[in-house]
Amino acid sequence: MPMFEAGDISVEVDEDGFIQDPDLWNEQLANALALTEGVETMGDEHWKLVKYLRDYYLQFGIAPMVRKLCKETGLPLKRVYELFPSGPAKGACKVAGLPKPTGCV
Amino acid sequence: MSRVRSQKAELVIERLGKKLNRQIVGSLVACVHCGMCTDACHYVLANPDDPSYAPAAKADKLRKLFKRHYDWTGRVIPWWVGAKSIFTDEELEDLKDTVFGKCTNCRRCSINCPMGVDFATYNRMTRGLLVSVGIMPEGVAVVSKDQWEIGNQMGVLTEDYLDTLEWMGEEMQEELDDETAIIPIDKEDADIVYTINPREVKYDPRTISDAGKIFHVAGANWTMPSEGWDMTNFGLFSGDDALGGSVAARVYDKLQEIRGKKLVISECGHGYRSTRCEGPNWAGMDIGFEMESSVITMLNFIKEGKIQVDKTRNTTPVTFHDSCNNARSCGLFEEPRELLKLVVTDFTEMYPNRAENYCCTGGGGAMSMSEYTPQRLKSGIVKANQLKDTGAKIVVTSCHNCVDGLNDVIKHYKLGMEVTQLVNLVANALVIPEKKVVPVVEVAEAVVEEAIAEEAVEAEEIKKELVLTGRKILIVDDEPDIRTFFGAVLEDNGAIILEAGDGDQAIEIANSEKPDLITLDLSMPGKDGGKVFEALRSNPETERLKICIITGRPELRKLIYDQELSKPEGYLDKPVDEDTLVLNVRKILELS
Repeated sequence: MPMFEAGDISVEVDEDGFIQDPDLWNEQLANALALTEGVETMGDEHWKLVKYLRDYYLQFGIAPMVRKLCKETGLPLKRVYELFPSGPAKGACKVAGLPKPTGCV
Repeated sequence: MSRVRSQKAELVIERLGKKLNRQIVGSLVACVHCGMCTDACHYVLANPDDPSYAPAAKADKLRKLFKRHYDWTGRVIPWWVGAKSIFTDEELEDLKDTVFGKCTNCRRCSINCPMGVDFATYNRMTRGLLVSVGIMPEGVAVVSKDQWEIGNQMGVLTEDYLDTLEWMGEEMQEELDDETAIIPIDKEDADIVYTINPREVKYDPRTISDAGKIFHVAGANWTMPSEGWDMTNFGLFSGDDALGGSVAARVYDKLQEIRGKKLVISECGHGYRSTRCEGPNWAGMDIGFEMESSVITMLNFIKEGKIQVDKTRNTTPVTFHDSCNNARSCGLFEEPRELLKLVVTDFTEMYPNRAENYCCTGGGGAMSMSEYTPQRLKSGIVKANQLKDTGAKIVVTSCHNCVDGLNDVIKHYKLGMEVTQLVNLVANALVIPEKKVVPVVEVAEAVVEEAIAEEAVEAEEIKKELVLTGRKILIVDDEPDIRTFFGAVLEDNGAIILEAGDGDQAIEIANSEKPDLITLDLSMPGKDGGKVFEALRSNPETERLKICIITGRPELRKLIYDQELSKPEGYLDKPVDEDTLVLNVRKILELS
């Protein structure tokens, strides 16, 4: 398995850069992963999205529908794509420490 | 001494025998190892020193098995034809890494082979053999399971799907400022049944609201199905024809249940190929309805004048990437270009293009197989160079898989380009028919609100003054032009318009909607006006509905007046002018 390394962080990831063990996730790691997805600084709205994704994943074991994401965080769809240019599936999920979504993504 | 063969290897060999048809055998025996395919493959071009990527070499891994077990040359001169069997599960794993990891089934080698060897077809078949003994990449297994069990490749539950469509309907209403803009679900007898890729509903539904806006503005009679809405098909990627048939049948069955006229497939290459081209064979079904790509639907809307587009809204330089499944396997490459040129101002072709274009790297389900991502990205250098040479800022493609494949290539090779689909560009260029806009100047908010309220009251009053306000009128005519003309005239006078293009539809709508008036044409294919009149008058549910016969063939009058039924409320000869139509309709509604 490849490793994701940034500063003193070293975490196992899959070939697409998604971390393998969600327990290893922390805010420092999220900041570092965000940089790989074109997010320079994690603002309040970024954290709101990422924390919702992570909580949902820990509870249900899958990524939520983007509908739920927008409804629960109150952020419009357009804003989600502004915050994470690579989208909720690849960008936000990766930063939130979820595994790579399955299927055509 | 004979070697012991694993049970999986035994099964693969046995099942290979059952898969051999003329096309496969022709491809297996015809290869002369000339090397034309080598130059055609993006994996080879990116790895010139690694012969294991050459299509002929990849093909030999299956060919040796075929020769050894199913071809006479392998029995007589095995050393000459390279016949060799497979014994262990490790060998099958190695085969898996070749057929899933070193080929995206893009078929570029197939169309460049002078001997007509369709390598991609038996690469897919080999995938199917391995899948049948449980050997496949994990991503393929997970997605296949979701498609078998939940009915779509991302395990989206029906309530979540419907909730998302409702949400997108709200977006449409807001953007169009039109509360009638909704996404109809399971509407029966719709002209268009629109099916999508689950990623649209799960992660990026903007393509759904964009398509919805286009359908709505075009005035299309469309719907989205509550089941069988996933037109993607992992059976194409995994080589599992049974899965392919099951997924495709789910789509076809639902369309038939709601009596849809045409299946429209959103911009997804493998979904289009699976549903339109391969699905009927896998499912063993005869398909009695039309199927088309949404690209063609949108193009026709523009050509028929149903929507207007303003290309000056899309001025960033674009290029077009052909999806392998669309272009090479289904011949869909001129229409997207024609449409693209209508909605953008600055289009540059990439080279090579159309059926000769290179794979986005994400074909054949590669996006779901992370284990092969590094070699996939390495092969992406070919695509990256093609993209870079265009100088464009946006790559347009009609395939969801390509969107992700291209995004990965762009990110990996730092090309700084965006990827989008035609539906997004068409929606952006779409001219929304004008509505009355309240002029807002720099005034205090309360004043503006007051003005809006007054305006609304005025608008309401104007509406009330219209002579046919609130009257529901069903126009029955097989001529779409006549329906449009009558509809526009009556609608301008406040009426709510329903339309039927044939007798059966007329009877059905009359029953379900109970319109205030029906204008009935006499000469129609199928059930003529006389039969419709008879059916309506003899049914207690509809016998009292007001009917105005409007015909261009007065000699057919007997169809109505010879019947021993209460006479129609009105009669008009075509051609009818605007005033005569309104006057007569009013007369019937107000006096009879």
